[in-house]
Amino acid sequence: MKRSKKAALVLTVPVATLLIAGCEKEVQGMVYSNPDECSAGGWNSTEQCEADFAAAKALHPQVAPKYVNKQECEADFGEGKCETAPQQTASGGSFFMPMMMGYLAGQMMNRGGANTQQPGGANMQQPTAAGAGSSVPTQPLYKSRDDRNTFRTATNRPVAKGVGPVSFKPSQVQPQAGRLVRRGGFGQQAATRSSFGS
Amino acid sequence: MQRINITERANWRDYAEEVGFDFHTFDGEPYWDETAYYQFSLQQIEEDLEAPTEELHQMVMDMVGDITRSEEMLTQLNIPRDYWSYVWNSWNSGEPHLYGRMDLVYDGTGPAKLLELNYDTPTSLFETGFFQWVWLEDQIRNGVLPGRADQFNSLQDKIEQAFIQLELPTPFYFTSVRDNAEDRGTVNYLMDIAAQAGKNVRYIALEDIGVIGDAKDGSQQFVDMDGEPIRGLFKLYPWEFMVQEEFARAVTDGNTQMVEPAWKMLLSNKGILPLLWARYPDHPNLLPAFFETASSEPMAAGWVRKPLFSREGANVDLITTGGEQISAAGPYADGRYIRQALHALPKFRDEYRNADAYTMIGSWVVGDSAAGICIREDATLITKDSSRFLPHIILD
Repeated sequence: MKRSKKAALVLTVPVATLLIAGCEKEVQGMVYSNPDECSAGGWNSTEQCEADFAAAKALHPQVAPKYVNKQECEADFGEGKCETAPQQTASGGSFFMPMMMGYLAGQMMNRGGANTQQPGGANMQQPTAAGAGSSVPTQPLYKSRDDRNTFRTATNRPVAKGVGPVSFKPSQVQPQAGRLVRRGGFGQQAATRSSFGS
Repeated sequence: MQRINITERANWRDYAEEVGFDFHTFDGEPYWDETAYYQFSLQQIEEDLEAPTEELHQMVMDMVGDITRSEEMLTQLNIPRDYWSYVWNSWNSGEPHLYGRMDLVYDGTGPAKLLELNYDTPTSLFETGFFQWVWLEDQIRNGVLPGRADQFNSLQDKIEQAFIQLELPTPFYFTSVRDNAEDRGTVNYLMDIAAQAGKNVRYIALEDIGVIGDAKDGSQQFVDMDGEPIRGLFKLYPWEFMVQEEFARAVTDGNTQMVEPAWKMLLSNKGILPLLWARYPDHPNLLPAFFETASSEPMAAGWVRKPLFSREGANVDLITTGGEQISAAGPYADGRYIRQALHALPKFRDEYRNADAYTMIGSWVVGDSAAGICIREDATLITKDSSRFLPHIILD
């Protein structure tokens, strides 16, 4: 027989992005859009809320992804959701970065932690007093254009769908110096040539 | 080799859409056409198509190493000088290739002639490997075709075997231009087969590929939408475009394994035809071919003029032996040309449309083996992207 023994399709749909799995223990943090929301939530003191927000704000220009033009940044984060970064290019031009849309408070106050419900109870690690037991720096969070509900870290890890307590693996939310990501560098000829396959 | 009318399957359009073949009709004109099929004898398939395909493939592969070392040939093929060492490296490090298609003219008798190689971004893959296979199964089940009817089509089996054997980075990405249904369909099919072969596959639109790192210190790396490195990439996008675009440097900087590899640049280029003819003059499966130069005479009757890089028949001119001139418009008029002796496509009668049909055979190669054929028909001597795809069978 000169034909295939079988010809079959099994997926024909794009494979969803998978989170990195591991046996690392989960820790807890809190996600807020702003310090007022944090204070109103009653989990942390107003002072702690302000301090976490300030820490995230300070980290924001360092870790936010950078773009060489505003258009590319807005393509990822949405129109009007990008700002000029304090850093400059070698030739004195501007970089652009997404605006901070919220923050992750890595340090949990014990009065909040005790009441926190956490999925996967077996892995639960009781939050302790401020600072102690926390291995996650407080950091800024962002929202991408195509997924407006999800808070993401500067390295594009989804953290939470809304505000409140979250659990995560510490390695997934380690801030890094913001990388310059450029996109759209392929496909220019697609505009002038109609067909690419042959 | 005969063209035989047959009744279309009742619900094939619904089925096509169900399995992602949403480009079966283009601008209201049929692309997939099952109002007829072509019938071959086993001898025609094995002696006139399969064996010459493998021989031509071997001839071509034997030349690649020489071309990578020849300044003259690289120049003739219009390979940008900045990529010569990259192409050389990709060949010498044995970067594996997946598949290709050669287009042949064959009328059922005499040696098939090579018209061109599409070894970088060949499409019609899903139509050949899946849809025409299912068509045959259905028509046998319907009792319309005899149970012993076969097809020269081991494309899906061979691609699955290739994916099983290839050592590819994980996850392995597939990319195509975002808004092209045909290219996306082809890539989806390849991803599907790769998944069946146990590979962890991801899709990213070509326009979404990101680059991090610095061009100045050669540290650029492709990344996906999550900023994760892309270490292996099947691209249904021509090398000759990629090397001219903004991210071209990131290909040579990064450690992304590309499929098809860079040396396929040499084999998706009509310039391979004059090089083949120079090395194997009078080979029965080759047509005389030459590079056109500033001092070339005006094209004579019985010749075809093709751009080095052109797809789907675009910008091809031909003058028949009778002196009739036929041209296809296109966006590739900006490069150099070759000339190839005309060996006209055979003409069949399309009873369904009461029109003539000129028929071309695409012959697939997976790894280094012949893997099946596909048939395209056009109302003219130039096969284009609008040409219809017809299924075939083997029956003695």
